[in-house]
Amino acid sequence: MNPEVMIYNVLSLAVPFSVAILLAALGENFNQRAGVFNLGCDGIMCMGAFVGFMLPYSLKAGPLAPYGNLLGVMGALAAGALLGLLFALVTVTFRASQGIAGIGLQMLGWGLSGTLFRHFVGGVTGVEGILAMPIPYLSRIPFLGGVLFNHTPLAYVAFLLVPASWFLLYKTPWGLKVRAVGTHPRAADTMGISVDRTRYQALMLGGAMAGLAGAYLSLCQARMFSDDLVAGRGFIAVALVYFGRWSPLGILGGALLFSIAQSFQLSMQVWGIKFPYEFAVMLPYVLVIVVLALARKARQLGPTELGKPYNREMRF
Amino acid sequence: MKTFLKVALITASLFGLPGGTAQAAPASKVRIALIVESTVDDKGWCQSMHDAILSVQKKHGVALVEYSHSEKMKPVDAGSAARQYASKGFDIIICHGAQYNNLVTEMAGIFPNTTFAYGTSANIGPKNVFTYTPYSEETGYLNGIIAGMVTRTQKIGNVGPVDGGDSARYTRGFMLGVKAANPNATVRVAFTGSFGDFVKAGELAQTQLKDGADVLTGSAQQAIGALRAVASVPGHVYWVGQDTAQLGIPEGSKVIAAAGYNYAAVVESLIAKRAAGIKGGESLPLQFANGGFSFVFNAKMDPKVLTPAIRKAVEQAKADLTSGKLKIDWKSIKL
Repeated sequence: MNPEVMIYNVLSLAVPFSVAILLAALGENFNQRAGVFNLGCDGIMCMGAFVGFMLPYSLKAGPLAPYGNLLGVMGALAAGALLGLLFALVTVTFRASQGIAGIGLQMLGWGLSGTLFRHFVGGVTGVEGILAMPIPYLSRIPFLGGVLFNHTPLAYVAFLLVPASWFLLYKTPWGLKVRAVGTHPRAADTMGISVDRTRYQALMLGGAMAGLAGAYLSLCQARMFSDDLVAGRGFIAVALVYFGRWSPLGILGGALLFSIAQSFQLSMQVWGIKFPYEFAVMLPYVLVIVVLALARKARQLGPTELGKPYNREMRF
Repeated sequence: MKTFLKVALITASLFGLPGGTAQAAPASKVRIALIVESTVDDKGWCQSMHDAILSVQKKHGVALVEYSHSEKMKPVDAGSAARQYASKGFDIIICHGAQYNNLVTEMAGIFPNTTFAYGTSANIGPKNVFTYTPYSEETGYLNGIIAGMVTRTQKIGNVGPVDGGDSARYTRGFMLGVKAANPNATVRVAFTGSFGDFVKAGELAQTQLKDGADVLTGSAQQAIGALRAVASVPGHVYWVGQDTAQLGIPEGSKVIAAAGYNYAAVVESLIAKRAAGIKGGESLPLQFANGGFSFVFNAKMDPKVLTPAIRKAVEQAKADLTSGKLKIDWKSIKL
């Protein structure tokens, strides 16, 4: 096969593969910037995937059928935000350990979505989902058109959210508050910023984006739901935030690198290159670990109060 | 009367899987438990065993066959479920997956009067453990013939979970089937590394399609994800399946044919052998020859795709497999 075609195939598949982890990681970045890491991201994605699937599935025979996908996406955003709110209640108000609460939320989301699916749907079944929407003219650009402009609308939204997240974090007063409560909450509190409220807002936004990431999986990528659909991608998203050094652009780079590695290892198998597939499937994960290990100084760029509950009455 | 039934059951057990299909009703109530890692409605591996037990229960009646199941049992969790079932007096506990090997061996020692079964495995285990092995190279071979005859691009894709157990046999049988029908076609074999990651299976199928494959197949429950990817592509792109449940879903319009496990024969055999006093120590094969497989063409498939020539070639191969004239040397394929 022509090398150019091979590169084109790898890249054009890597872009849609990256969307779910990109969305979830951008959301998780807001959480972590506010000083809270949410290991429950995977569980929120499960619920987002379920709600995103369930609405078009249950509305398919009714008058709202044409709006099923849109309602599914909105429902996933709402479900994610609600779970983010729950996580905020547990970790911000009740000051529970963020790691343990996150694992609990992951199990809750995974179990609840699976249980609801079994109760309301039953076996594995599909929906029409959201189809690719090539952008007129741009999608016809040789090479780049197919790689960048021939995807589902949610993929375009995800990539537009990268500059939007950057703008929100670095160019708005709210973004400044988020970074302040994650870096020096006591100073922020002294300046009249409500640490708890800001963390609640960030966690709800992060949850909504994780819900959207789940909806992308069930509505755009697999166009079906099963309780193993997310398959640990939420944890990859959490790792990508460290990988991307808490910057939306860095996260985009990490998501693309991971997805290119994923697409490359799948293509490598399909091309028949003699390489043990067991190692090939590990490749993207090994890559993340290696980059994280080599980027030891990245920790210095992170929010200094990450993982620490804030209590204004406590003095250290 | 009881003696007569015992004789009948012993006779039936002798004709168990490696023979006829006639099975007598159990003389007394049999309690069967099933432990699976996925769910019993996964339209794949786990559902096939669940459906088989239900069909046996339906055939003999709930009064004679009691059935209970536990889903989403990872090997580390399955131990407590198996212990519970054995303690409650279940006669036969089927742990449906090779990953339960160690668990079953351990439990068999603790509960010597309980019959345990697991598969895919050809191990001859302790005296109260049966194993079962679908000779999936046979169904793979038939699907391979179809794929070889249907492909136009001469590229055929396989979306496997891992290169082991049932999948390894199916994949190699499939490759041999393609080679027999169309030596010019190439089979692109790839694995996701997971049995249940539907998204990754879809991604792998997309990679295969992007590379030009126009007929795909896949195994394990993750295959539904790949079938979804195939179904989203219009035109001459088709799927040959390893589970007949795939024919009944909306994406079934892309499925030319599908094979199915008939685990009812295994379940019947387990009941009969236990009644005859054989609690284990054997490996039960599933083959076309003993009714262990079914193979179904999609009745709604375009006859320009599923041509009479294809049907004839498949039927001939199936007949040869059933009669023993055709043996699939799946181990000859090295990946």
